[in-house]
Amino acid sequence: MSRTGWNDYNWQLVHALPQPPALHMALDEVLTDEVAARRRPPTLRVWEWSASCVVIGRFQSLRNEVDAEGAQRHGIEVVRRISGGGAMFIEPGNTITYSLYAPESLVAGMSFQESYEFMDAWVIDALQGLGIHAWYQPLNDITSPGGKIAGAAQTRRGGAVLHHVTMAYDIDSTKMLEVLRIGREKLSDKATQSAAKRVDPLRSQTGLARADVIDKMVTTFRTRHGLAAGRLSADELDRAKALAASKFSTAAWTGIVP
Amino acid sequence: MHGEYKMPGGKLVVADLDVRNGKLTRVRISGDFFLEPDSALTMIDIALEGLPANADSTQHAAVLRAALGPNVLMYGVSPEAIAVAVQRALEPTS
Repeated sequence: MSRTGWNDYNWQLVHALPQPPALHMALDEVLTDEVAARRRPPTLRVWEWSASCVVIGRFQSLRNEVDAEGAQRHGIEVVRRISGGGAMFIEPGNTITYSLYAPESLVAGMSFQESYEFMDAWVIDALQGLGIHAWYQPLNDITSPGGKIAGAAQTRRGGAVLHHVTMAYDIDSTKMLEVLRIGREKLSDKATQSAAKRVDPLRSQTGLARADVIDKMVTTFRTRHGLAAGRLSADELDRAKALAASKFSTAAWTGIVP
Repeated sequence: MHGEYKMPGGKLVVADLDVRNGKLTRVRISGDFFLEPDSALTMIDIALEGLPANADSTQHAAVLRAALGPNVLMYGVSPEAIAVAVQRALEPTS
């Protein structure tokens, strides 16, 4: 497979109104497949959430990661995504999440580590434009002097690569620790973090509203690689809704690693 | 039985398993690592099922490496790291 470049494509932006967690999981699967089939151009999708949730990685144990009682008490849905990586705690407006869908040739011949760094480069550029000294931290993080900003995850399907990233804008870590189990252990040996009530590296380091940070990111991508306004097709949305119901809302999928 | 191992330079690997008649059973490997294809996780659990619990982690890793073959891609995890998580599940007090 010969390598292609960012600017070999007509990138499309999809930024829809808030959607439920299971639909986001399904859209990642459908849009990756659409790009693999060349029915859709490579796409940057910015997510808006209609509900709070925990998103666990494809290979994580549901029981080990999520405090089911805590999640229920806070009315937080649990969904599993198609990529590996760690659990994320989402409340609408507290994170910035986006996906990139591209032909696998964009990262042909790269190691996993190189492909994460390559796919993250534009957003690190955007963060630096916002005054944050951000950098790629192997294996799959973006970090800053003020702490970790984001985690990325990739998966490859049928000749396309999905690279999605969740950035902490302003997270209520007290609530997060009542819902995620691993977070509690990870934080237990980091005294500085365990005292923090908010994990807000983007908000505190930019002083900007979440929407303004997203605008800056989109502008940076457009300047570097080109980006046309786009939308989900009716067919894509219908298929994603069907998949959200038949797969991503089911206990069989969410509990596939119990 | 439950064991966890953070692979140096990698991700967290978790092993949940039982031992019956000296053999590993009900093996569940999990973690925040990356595998391609995703069906490799089931291959890992199946490869470990029934292995002697008193084998050392080098032997468990060798079985895993052989079972997965060259087409499974791993990021942040390795047969050796999985074998260490299994060993920790088997020796919870050490």
